[in-house]
Amino acid sequence: MFDLFLDFFANRDNHLTRMDSRTKMIVASSLILAVILSTKIILPLIVLAVCVSIMLIIGIPAKLVFLRLIAPMSIVLALVVVQTFSVNGTGFFSVSLFGLHLVATHEGLTHGIMLGSRVLGAVSVMILLGSVTPAHKIFHALRWFKVPDTWVEIALLIYRYTFTLADQTTDIAEAQKLRLGYSSLRRSLSSIGVLAGTVITRSMDQAMRTYEAMTLRGYNGAMRFEALPKMPKTEFMGLLIVLPLIIATYCAVEWWPK
Amino acid sequence: MVAEVNQQFAVQASGVTYTYQEGTRALRDVDFWVEPGEFVAMLASNGSGKTTLIKVLVGLLEPQNGIVNINGQNIRKLTRKDLCRQIGLVLQNPVDQLFAATVDEDVAYGPRNLGLAEQEINKRVVESLESVAALELRHRPIHHLSFGEQKRVSMAGVLAMHPSTLILDEPTAGLDPAGEALMMRLLNRLNREQGITVILATHSVDLLPLFADRIYVLRHGKVLKQGPSDEIFCDHEMINQACLRLPYIADLLHKMKEHDGVPINGLPLTLGEARMRLLELIPEDMITKHTEGKLQ
Amino acid sequence: MINLSRTAIAFIAVLIVGTAAAPVYAMHISEGILPMGWAVLWFLASLPFVVLGLRNLRIRSEKEPHFKALVGLVGAGVFVISCMPIPVPIAGTCSHPCGTGLAAILIGPSISVVVSSVALLLQALFLAHGGLTTLGANIFSMGVAGSFVGYGIFVLSRRMGLSFVVAAFLAGVLSDWATYSTTSFILTGALHADTSFWKMFVTILLAFVPTQVPLGILEGFLSAGAYTFVHSRRPEYLGILVKGDAV
Repeated sequence: MFDLFLDFFANRDNHLTRMDSRTKMIVASSLILAVILSTKIILPLIVLAVCVSIMLIIGIPAKLVFLRLIAPMSIVLALVVVQTFSVNGTGFFSVSLFGLHLVATHEGLTHGIMLGSRVLGAVSVMILLGSVTPAHKIFHALRWFKVPDTWVEIALLIYRYTFTLADQTTDIAEAQKLRLGYSSLRRSLSSIGVLAGTVITRSMDQAMRTYEAMTLRGYNGAMRFEALPKMPKTEFMGLLIVLPLIIATYCAVEWWPK
Repeated sequence: MVAEVNQQFAVQASGVTYTYQEGTRALRDVDFWVEPGEFVAMLASNGSGKTTLIKVLVGLLEPQNGIVNINGQNIRKLTRKDLCRQIGLVLQNPVDQLFAATVDEDVAYGPRNLGLAEQEINKRVVESLESVAALELRHRPIHHLSFGEQKRVSMAGVLAMHPSTLILDEPTAGLDPAGEALMMRLLNRLNREQGITVILATHSVDLLPLFADRIYVLRHGKVLKQGPSDEIFCDHEMINQACLRLPYIADLLHKMKEHDGVPINGLPLTLGEARMRLLELIPEDMITKHTEGKLQ
Repeated sequence: MINLSRTAIAFIAVLIVGTAAAPVYAMHISEGILPMGWAVLWFLASLPFVVLGLRNLRIRSEKEPHFKALVGLVGAGVFVISCMPIPVPIAGTCSHPCGTGLAAILIGPSISVVVSSVALLLQALFLAHGGLTTLGANIFSMGVAGSFVGYGIFVLSRRMGLSFVVAAFLAGVLSDWATYSTTSFILTGALHADTSFWKMFVTILLAFVPTQVPLGILEGFLSAGAYTFVHSRRPEYLGILVKGDAV
């Protein structure tokens, strides 16, 4: 019943999953930055094409890629509409809605499409990163980017127990359904409250048991983490090539003479 | 029988009484001791104070009365770090115990808290995963493991602290027959080969007689009886009183002996023993194949 | 200006359908929507709240070493609840509750911000729900606005003598609505272009109405139900959790 994340692909073995998470995060962030700063639609579209192709090459089902892109796609459509009517310029048609006189402009449409392409480009980078890097590796790598240990500790706990609690929640919800817990609006509202309450109390009980287990293995209020390994030399060299390449592509596209 | 405070016990509890805040008296004057290298089973039905006793033994609960000594030292005087190195607890539900994201991280968790060097941590992770036959799971995320795998990994996490005594709460509960057999084999190996003292709490009687040197029977927070397995299972009245039963094979032979008058020698508790006893009774010419030696 | 041609009509039809579905997906601001300046601004705006939450968390767990485990697990619980797909009758699709109101009244508003920052990062990376550059903005709308409004309403209603059921209900409803108003505000700031800010703000807000009015009320029932349940089964936890949140 859950739209929980699938980390199945991130735990597979391929060239990208084997790479250091920090390298992947740096490349992904620079790509996203380039996309967001871009004023032409061509760069985001190139990024979109590259990311989608990589995902297909490493064997992520096309259906899943499409499914993940649907949500941003509808946002893109909304963006285009909103921008078409809210930028001033040469109108190409107009409508009156609820007493509002709306003018669609060429400039607005172009601007909307540009924004939309940014969304698609940036989102595809994000999906790719999530498909080749498991969450716990990202959390650990964040320590390298100076995110406090406390945050990482909480994040790891949330990630670990989300799956357990989701299974339990599904079981409770199904048990409720089998006994007609969702047969009317009134019953549904009360069932959903009980469901949420059960999940919360169970999570608290689990917390106490987990804490006991942590104590037994020497926990005293803060998790100790392994020192992060040095970034592999080859990947560091790789970054030295890839980052300038991204910047060069960005500049080339931005300042390409018309 | 109250044992004297003695250096030679791995775990020793004398006159332990524990009452929960809401008034449940979970343990009443419990005496419990285990010698180094022993394999002891705590046989108890649900709600007999088994889990409470375990928690007292590892220092999670402090008893209102009585003393607990670990390797001859009073538990109250031990720091948590020292205690971790001497006694480890594997909880019944691995979900409670596996709180890190991957197998690797979870097993390394304890050694890291002991402040060991990364190299040593790594060595311990490999060793303890090997000793529970789970080294190939090393880089897997916890939530992708099967229940049996989770059980073994949670055991590795405790073993990585190198405790001299290992307590396991229902290690075979919820496992399929193959998983059950594997778990018992692993425990037996840890006990015989690495010399780890094993205390196993369970209410499943069928597997125990094979392994346990001694059995404690708990009921209503009291020790009903303790002793070697044949002594325990001969006391039918006590077994019934404790809401337990004989192992199925023993039960069968016991009934044949009592009700049908079959002249069975003693009370066999294991399959191999039972087979030998039965073979003794069957006329030689009815046995067409002879297999060598005793089984199990 | 030209007359509407057939293709234009088809084009508009697609746009309208897409636009109508957008509010459901726009629970969090998608990656790529905010221009650089706005993204940075909202990061700066939510940063102090995350820092404050982490500080409270650290201080409390020094005194009570089990506190982080509790926050992590309650965080996971709330995250799971917030992932439950809920059919929205009017829009014909599924949406999700936020859960921040509930989290705030259970673990306190500032720590609830920390929890929601984790949830938002997980959703962005693994569900393409929200985004990385928009993380700051989303933490602000769902984490900061949702938590503090929810918690504030809860405390205020209790002071006014309302029962905790009603207080939890109001906290749920208003934290959900606060989240969506803030999201609309952030979107308007970045997207209003040449239109007036307020006109755009009202338009976006109205676009959220069909899904968020029922969803907010549902979130109220969810918070009230959950809080009552915890209150009746495990009242001791409520004491452990909220006491002494410095905010």
